[in-house]
Amino acid sequence: MASLALDHVTKRYGRETVLDDVSLSVADGEIVSIFGPSGAGKTVLLRLIAGMAEPEEGAILVDGSDVIDVAPEQRSVGMAFQNFALFPHMSAFDNIASPLVARRLGRDGIEDGVQKIARLLKIDHVLGHAPRALSNGQKQRTALARALVAAPKILLLDDPLRNVDAKLRFEMRLELPRLLERFGSTVLYVTQDYREAMALGRRIAVLVHGRIAQFGTPDEIYDRPANVEVAELFGDPGINLFEGHVEAGRSGMVAAVGGMRLPLAPGFERIAGRSVTIGVRPEHVGFAAAGTEGAVAARVAALLPLNDRMVRLLVTEDGRELYTSREAGGAAMEEGARGHVVADPAAIVVFDRETGRRIAPRSAGFASPALQENP
Amino acid sequence: MHHTSTGERILRGVLISLALIFFLFPIFWILLMSFQTNAQILRIPPSIVFTPTLDNYVSLITGELKTASGVLKLAFMQNLLNSLILSVASVALSLVLAVPAAYAFARYKFRFSEDIAFTLLSFKFAPPLLVLLPLTIYFQQIGLANTYVGLIWVYQLITLPLILWIVRGYFEDISPDIEHAYRIAGHSWLRSFLKISVPLAMPGIAAAALLSFIFAWNNFVFALVLASADKQPVTVGALAFVTASGIQYGQIAAAVVISIAPTLALALFAQRYLVEGLSLGAVKG
Amino acid sequence: MTASVVLDSVNKIYGARNPRPIYAVRDFSIEIAPGEIVALLGSSGCGKTSTLRMIAGFEEVTKGEIRIGDRRIDALAPAQRRVAMAFEGYSLYPPLTLRENIAFALKAEKLDNAETARRVEEIARLLELGPYLDRYPSTVSAGQQQRASLGRALVRKAELYLLDEPMGQLEPQLRAVLRGRLKRYLREHGLTAILVTHDQTEANALADRIAVMEGGVLQQFASPAELKRAPANLFVGTFIGEPPMNVYRVKPTVADGRLSLSAAGAELFGYAPGTVSDAVLDRVRGREEVIVGVRPADVRVGASGAPAEVVSNQWIGDQTHLESTFPGGVIVATIQDRFRAKAGERIHVDVPADRLHVFSSEGSALSHGRELAAPRPAERVAA
Repeated sequence: MASLALDHVTKRYGRETVLDDVSLSVADGEIVSIFGPSGAGKTVLLRLIAGMAEPEEGAILVDGSDVIDVAPEQRSVGMAFQNFALFPHMSAFDNIASPLVARRLGRDGIEDGVQKIARLLKIDHVLGHAPRALSNGQKQRTALARALVAAPKILLLDDPLRNVDAKLRFEMRLELPRLLERFGSTVLYVTQDYREAMALGRRIAVLVHGRIAQFGTPDEIYDRPANVEVAELFGDPGINLFEGHVEAGRSGMVAAVGGMRLPLAPGFERIAGRSVTIGVRPEHVGFAAAGTEGAVAARVAALLPLNDRMVRLLVTEDGRELYTSREAGGAAMEEGARGHVVADPAAIVVFDRETGRRIAPRSAGFASPALQENP
Repeated sequence: MHHTSTGERILRGVLISLALIFFLFPIFWILLMSFQTNAQILRIPPSIVFTPTLDNYVSLITGELKTASGVLKLAFMQNLLNSLILSVASVALSLVLAVPAAYAFARYKFRFSEDIAFTLLSFKFAPPLLVLLPLTIYFQQIGLANTYVGLIWVYQLITLPLILWIVRGYFEDISPDIEHAYRIAGHSWLRSFLKISVPLAMPGIAAAALLSFIFAWNNFVFALVLASADKQPVTVGALAFVTASGIQYGQIAAAVVISIAPTLALALFAQRYLVEGLSLGAVKG
Repeated sequence: MTASVVLDSVNKIYGARNPRPIYAVRDFSIEIAPGEIVALLGSSGCGKTSTLRMIAGFEEVTKGEIRIGDRRIDALAPAQRRVAMAFEGYSLYPPLTLRENIAFALKAEKLDNAETARRVEEIARLLELGPYLDRYPSTVSAGQQQRASLGRALVRKAELYLLDEPMGQLEPQLRAVLRGRLKRYLREHGLTAILVTHDQTEANALADRIAVMEGGVLQQFASPAELKRAPANLFVGTFIGEPPMNVYRVKPTVADGRLSLSAAGAELFGYAPGTVSDAVLDRVRGREEVIVGVRPADVRVGASGAPAEVVSNQWIGDQTHLESTFPGGVIVATIQDRFRAKAGERIHVDVPADRLHVFSSEGSALSHGRELAAPRPAERVAA
């Protein structure tokens, strides 16, 4: 158990900057998801913390002291790799035992430790098998057991569910938080799946092009993404984005997108006339009667059932694509049908078109210019 | 999906038999020759019907060759021992030097690493004599000529680059993550090298050791120039069978059979590791 | 242009003359209407790819018949079948740019340059390939190669489109968008398509009907909604649906019209007399054991039902996955909203009779959902 901080860390490979001035602070025992598209530098970040690579600039602090000069074997981290990285010439037992062997526990201590974690992860029946005789799910659990067995201070999980099938991935996703809680380690969980990032991380660090684009709770990031890029990375289907500008409407401000006038929540008066990108998540687009304020006429181009929801691809009269996602079985518009949809004003996110950064509505209670976000 | 007709199967059998006969016939013939007297060997036309004799082997082992012009002393057993000492020691020394070096070349990209690795290989391009002539003089001056140490040193030119280049490829194929996982588990660099990298590259190391042993064993020129009678390996020693009273084909054949034996034994022994290596390749994914 | 497709008892048998032949595909029969989109869904080795390759002509049909419209095609050379295929391994021509790769597929149609360019541009727009059209396959990402391969298949005029894992390599953000685009394109042009995938999200979104395969055998061929509502067997029941169905082995007891489902002495679910139809009671009565399945979306979390304790609660944006322990073990529920409940919190879970799937202990379906519930009086009159 330890706190972990990255302080202005920069990592370059040749002329390419893979991590650019990354600062991150993780509390003792916290689970943080590191999420981002492939190539964003997520794995490199873990490698730096594990000591497999050294940053060009910045410090990595464990419990307040810089560990950059500490050898990997002395950092007391556990790590599970995306490709499992099991030792192919050792049995599952010896794989899991290796951190205990390094700590020179006696034979009984090793036996106890391995058996305990193996039972917890339900792989005690395959401990004698070589890695190549294990199923993918068992390999993944063995790798996890090896990372956890010595109760490391810091646990680094590099997309551990990537290479297991959908069903197992779901089971493990539900099981992992409980398991991790038991060990109390500080956890960094790297993933490319926004669902995993939201489900597992108390906070999420969104990494894009080697920079932390946003660091916050799942609610903050999903509802109030820092910029367009972050907004696009969450949700299935992704957020609907339209370019337009803000103007005064019949009863408050609206976003004018082509011929559409989408009412906005209060608080955007100060940005009248600004060119913006507006985002609205598919689950916040609902059906409405014609004539409802802000209703947009559209035709259903395709029905795309998604789990327990019905996703519809709508095409507006000026040819824009718009996705809705509603609970299946509710009021339905079939393929080819025409109707009206309306976006929930409170759920519309407004971004500055030039910078891509979110513009927060200014609530009446915080009118002071000093508190204004994104001046 | 792929249907094999009977005709196809027969044709394949015939082709394989032809290839086998082509490659194995010389060995088979040598084996027959080693049990014949010179007179039987030189018969025209040759025949495979003869009364086998162990004379050739006896004379090799006792070191006495009775020829028409008298009894000749043979140092074959000494030659065999020399071959064994030179080959084993050369390969052993090369392994100790080249395996860590191969690891370094595989894992660390340092300045001139490619150039150094290439230079090591380039010794194989030049004719051996180019290296040997200047060496002979130096070796005589510093007292290394006609010593095992000197010969083993020179043999490194044969064995070291070969092992380095083969083993390097095997190290490159091991996922660095596996080594990282072992170090993160709390093991030092050296332990990770000895417990993870070397065992996983073992098939490559075995193959490289076997190949370089064969090259060392069959070397002729280095030993011819740098060794005198008591340090000569079998390849050079066989020259002694070309005697004043003719070429002793029977003894040569017997000598060949005996000198193939260690290589063959080693190959059979190493095969286990080679095959194991093939199945270890299935680890990824 | 578009045509119906019939697969009639199609078999793919390896080593048919051996004492133990291997059935990659066994007696596979489906009929596809013109303009229909069908997905072959299953895990690796289930026979879906062999089936597709037989339709395309890359694999011999051991036994059976394949027809497109009224043409029998199973003995024709691939080029004569009038099918277009997008390969899982992209198989783009390396020396050609993506544009040339896509245009190459139009060679056989002998179009003039302007028309070729127009068609390529249209497909490129659909697949968001515009900026990469003049690059070579080796210089673009796997996702872009895959889109080009998809484009090369779609740009052609064919009677049937075969798509082998068309989205496997796509960037996740683009996947949802392209699902919509692809379906819209197929619909607007009225194209018949067969799609092979192991990803049920993709199959559900794109296909009108899904053929679920396992071990070379067709398990069920039905619409995505039907697969969920009435899975033919336990395999289909647990395979379809994310998160997967909750499954319990229980002992059914019927006393005075009340159905009780219990395991290890504890009652998991109980249904008062009149809530479960007599027909269903007859089907389970006397059985030692049945398997009941409950879809996470059908679990009601609220004030009534079995007492449960929250184990984990994961919100993933458009829904919440809630795992709890209850007398039957563990139950997973999905809630179509943000749900605030911490681990350890006590809740109640309930499964209405009309949402229960009942299977025999061997896994064949006994009854599903609505038919389980006793018909309400109004419906009785209507019937």
